[in-house]
Amino acid sequence: MRLAATIRGRGYRFDSVREVMAKANAPKSGDDLAGISARDAVERVAARAVLSGLTLAELRSNPVIPYEDDELTRMAEDTLDEAAYRSVKALSVAEFREWLLEPTTTGPVIRSVSPGLTPEMAAGVCKLMSTMDLMVVSAKCEVVVRANNTVGLAGRLSSRVQPNHPTDDVQGILLSAREGLSYGCGDAVIGVNPATDTPESTAEILAALHRLTRQNRIPTQHCVLSHVTVQMQALDLGCPMDLMFQSLSGSQKGNEAFGISIALMDEAYDKMKRMGTAAGPNCMYFETGQGSALSSDAHHGADQLTLEARCYGFARRYKPFLVNTVVGFIGPEYLEDGPQITRAGLEDHFMGKLLGLPMGCDACFTYHASMSQDELESLKVLLAAAGCTYLMSMPVGDDIMLNYQSTSYHDVPSVRGLLRKRPAPEFDAWLNEVGIMNGLEPGERFGDPRVLR
Amino acid sequence: MSVTRALIADLRVAMGQADPLPPAGPAPSITPPPRRVFPARRTPSRSAQEASEHTTALLGIGHVGTRYATDVVLQFQAELAVAHEAVATVLEEGWAEANGLLPLQSRVRDHREFLLRPDLGRRLDEASLQLLQRRAAKNIDVQPILADGLSAVACMGSGKTLLDAVTRQCESRGWTVGTPMCARFARVWLQDEIGSAVDAKVAMILLGERPGLGTGDGLSAYLVYEPKMGKTDSDRNMMSNIHERGTPPVEAAERLAMLAGAMLAQETSGVELDLSDLSSQLGDAAGTGYRAPQKRVRLVEVGS
Repeated sequence: MRLAATIRGRGYRFDSVREVMAKANAPKSGDDLAGISARDAVERVAARAVLSGLTLAELRSNPVIPYEDDELTRMAEDTLDEAAYRSVKALSVAEFREWLLEPTTTGPVIRSVSPGLTPEMAAGVCKLMSTMDLMVVSAKCEVVVRANNTVGLAGRLSSRVQPNHPTDDVQGILLSAREGLSYGCGDAVIGVNPATDTPESTAEILAALHRLTRQNRIPTQHCVLSHVTVQMQALDLGCPMDLMFQSLSGSQKGNEAFGISIALMDEAYDKMKRMGTAAGPNCMYFETGQGSALSSDAHHGADQLTLEARCYGFARRYKPFLVNTVVGFIGPEYLEDGPQITRAGLEDHFMGKLLGLPMGCDACFTYHASMSQDELESLKVLLAAAGCTYLMSMPVGDDIMLNYQSTSYHDVPSVRGLLRKRPAPEFDAWLNEVGIMNGLEPGERFGDPRVLR
Repeated sequence: MSVTRALIADLRVAMGQADPLPPAGPAPSITPPPRRVFPARRTPSRSAQEASEHTTALLGIGHVGTRYATDVVLQFQAELAVAHEAVATVLEEGWAEANGLLPLQSRVRDHREFLLRPDLGRRLDEASLQLLQRRAAKNIDVQPILADGLSAVACMGSGKTLLDAVTRQCESRGWTVGTPMCARFARVWLQDEIGSAVDAKVAMILLGERPGLGTGDGLSAYLVYEPKMGKTDSDRNMMSNIHERGTPPVEAAERLAMLAGAMLAQETSGVELDLSDLSSQLGDAAGTGYRAPQKRVRLVEVGS
């Protein structure tokens, strides 16, 4: 491997594939904070030039965290689909990018290659792609999953209702959930981030959501996003649970900071397959986000984009129903402003889809990041145009517990209307039955929570 | 002429030379839509009224097509502007001295760096360290530190009131309290270096919290026993949402003194601190600290 390039007569050399990967990354404040980013735009292009010449086989044999040091690296290496890998291993990253863009490389073709890709390959090709490249390829990937309904079909856009409450007031949660449903939101999941991380509280909220969805015969899923060990205890209390949730990180050390490991997640998945209440084969829900590894000093000198791809490598082990990046939540020290958050959202969606995940996105910002409401609205349209599986939704996009700005109950039907997309088919049928929607148009009961019991 | 060219020519003839759209019809007579006001004070819908008893989420605000009514848009923009303004405000030069506080600064040099480099905001600059060593009282029970954090608006608003109230509470319990000070471009963990430099048993940083919608003036307090660099979040206790619409500063000061008292008595802090005896008096300061719900207030009045 020659890790060198020349631009206008000036030579650039790099010591490792990890350094090339970091310096090839689009500008991110988190890579600056880690001290690993390119020192200027020209060096960034030099790193991309070097990266473009590496083969996918070379990326496989140079993971950003060594095999000996990290169980996620070992899992990616040991469980890779060798037949699928053989079909792509000789391609350079540049050739792989072009192959993905070819019209003959359809969604089903990408799906057949996906199990042979390591996270580093997804991250590597992502770094050579522009925003529109990312969107064009993402839109081809059709990842369809099923629980109580079917999400990810072409021409569909789903959403999570996120009725969080700062004190877990169940009435407050239900009032918000009803309102969200009346705007046609909630086909991906009705998912609550609890203020209190206890099995009893988790079970209480799940039981209330269960009554709401079953009483009204709404074909969707519920979930309470407490720690996975808390949800396992809640299952033992005998509560209903359609989806099990956990936040993932891109390194073993990062996952230790989250209090999880592969063994623990295997155990949780096994339990959920036996005890979960959704009809489906898919029953897991994961959230990720660039920068989480660095925030717990678990990045091993790797860039945040590559570490994010490694989260997806972890996630796909459990055939999840939902995976989303919470792209602007982490704060400006990792993604500084609108352009960085926009780019990261589209990158994460692309990498997730390429690795075979039903990828959604919490397009969001905290109030100390430099992103405007208009930029955030634009990102939601870009994501949906790229085929994003689902967005979030909450009243006016304002999470009153987590204090950040995301997608609103009003945004989801607006984006669907703009792009002529519909919700998951089962949920769509329910919306039309009760009069919330009338085909692609708002129905007579649109925005009227009294339509729900 | 090729077949394709002939087809294009025929198509062009078929499309004709006239304007591609027929003329627009006469403008209809437009009735103003019903007045929509948020929060709906005059004619609140039943669901909005019910919702306001259980949640501060903006429910029952209706819709125009799939979008918001204009009044909702303005209220929302006002709330967003308040939050962004609070983040963008920098603690004024000389504010600390004018309020009789020892002026300290982290290693951060400007506001953008403050947002991007939390590591620098956790360390004192050299001049501040020297000032601390020269002028601050050492070997004390409690060192309160006022700081800007993510809202200098909150710091300059009710910060001094909270600092004075906490100091009175601690002194009334017979503890020695450190020299009053105010740190600029400060993150929470800066209390570790300050606290260890003055040899305090408990360091208590009072700083502007990350604004939420419509709330730019909230303060948070973080306490740590035996402050020194290397302490983590699990070593700290915190209380948030300190402002007149949340926990008022004077009430907060009493609870913070109770927390400090528990730390002095048990010689520990954070997850190891046992607050079971105090939980009824501490309210939301007893746990890891959540953000209590607060009533949303109307921010925009036209013509008043």
